[in-house]
Amino acid sequence: MRADLGGRVAIVTGGAGAIGTAICRMLAANGARVVVADINESGAQVLAETLPDAMACEIDISNEESTTEGVAAVLARYGQIDILVNNAGVNTQAHRVTIEQFPKAEWDRIVRIDLDGTYLMSKAALVPMVARGAGGRVINIASVVGLAAMRLQSPFNAAKAGIVHLTRAMAIELGHHGILTNAIAPGSILSEGTRALFYGKGGLFGTRTDEFMRHIPMGRPGEADEIARAALFLSSPAASYVNGQCLAVDGGWTAGYMV
Amino acid sequence: MQIDLTGHSVRITGAGGALRDTLRARLADSGARMIGEGVPDLLIASAPLVEAPGFDWSALAAIARETGASMQAGGKGRIVFLLPACAALPVRRQPQLSMQGAALLALMRTMAMTLAPQVAVNALGAGAIGDPDLVSGDAQMIGHAPVGRAGTLEEACAVALFLCDPDNTYLTGQMLTADGGWMAGYGRSF
Repeated sequence: MRADLGGRVAIVTGGAGAIGTAICRMLAANGARVVVADINESGAQVLAETLPDAMACEIDISNEESTTEGVAAVLARYGQIDILVNNAGVNTQAHRVTIEQFPKAEWDRIVRIDLDGTYLMSKAALVPMVARGAGGRVINIASVVGLAAMRLQSPFNAAKAGIVHLTRAMAIELGHHGILTNAIAPGSILSEGTRALFYGKGGLFGTRTDEFMRHIPMGRPGEADEIARAALFLSSPAASYVNGQCLAVDGGWTAGYMV
Repeated sequence: MQIDLTGHSVRITGAGGALRDTLRARLADSGARMIGEGVPDLLIASAPLVEAPGFDWSALAAIARETGASMQAGGKGRIVFLLPACAALPVRRQPQLSMQGAALLALMRTMAMTLAPQVAVNALGAGAIGDPDLVSGDAQMIGHAPVGRAGTLEEACAVALFLCDPDNTYLTGQMLTADGGWMAGYGRSF
């Protein structure tokens, strides 16, 4: 699909990551002015230089001061914010254990970034969006584990389920301002991170990748571009009556019980 | 929003109505070729969007199933159901529509599982749609929609078109609702 984002200013957090990069490129290719926001400033800079009228912005979404400073920098450059894609997030790699063994510090790190960070970044961006009165869009990147739990990542499950419901709360609070909030729940997406953690040689799936794939109707992991297309639609003028929805782009994984 | 259906055949079956007519026009604008019978590249399975005594829901389900099986045998295809939003959130005033819609929603999801990876199956969920005359939902829903208005036919069609887009290669088994946030929770202040 093609959409006309007509110079709308879109902040994409985690913009230097795999899904974030795909979203930045998709929005820019359809006419948005993109803010590549990331804690990895050099990665954001490299991407922003390839996009028309884009900027890089170093933001740590788990730090309130960082989110407000980032938003101020965006306003200084463009004077407005139209679209916020809350994409930044982390999962545990070092602690694949059940909840009774799960380290508190790792729990705090994940919930602070994934859930608190979505709140803090939304809060910072929504102050000028509401004040401007021109409406806008918020797209929260959740996960299928926010809809159907998976083992050995309890804080990620909890934080992503929190994001799904936070999306609904934001939708009913902000709808009358013309600001529409929706979520995308990606399934398992191939990226450098998931290759290392799950799919690759020595990954957690080991020889069980085929077994796992039998639970996914499409029979394969997704690509970052496939998530970006959903983000494009939800950012576009066409989605003007879609609000409070969580769209799973997961190859049918959460459609039902496969086996 | 523009999707490209050049060279794609489309068959529309089931209930008539303004939403279906508008979608037919938008699909044609996108380059699709309408066919009345045979196995299309894209099937639109149109359910009633308001209570419709006498509608043959079983026949619609049967056509969707048969067409889906033929698409799978042919190696490709896409099915988009047009459902009322009460398929996912039952409405007291629409008991039959809620029940029959929920049945088609479950069918959509099982078809997504059985027909993958060749065939993608998704659904539009239509909230209060129509201006000024509602073709879907009812007036009470509007007061609970956070955006405070009914949706237009074009807004509902936009969601359906997104689901019809052949570029959507990892999206299946989903209902995406055009309801202004009605389903998200309590849009009113108490």
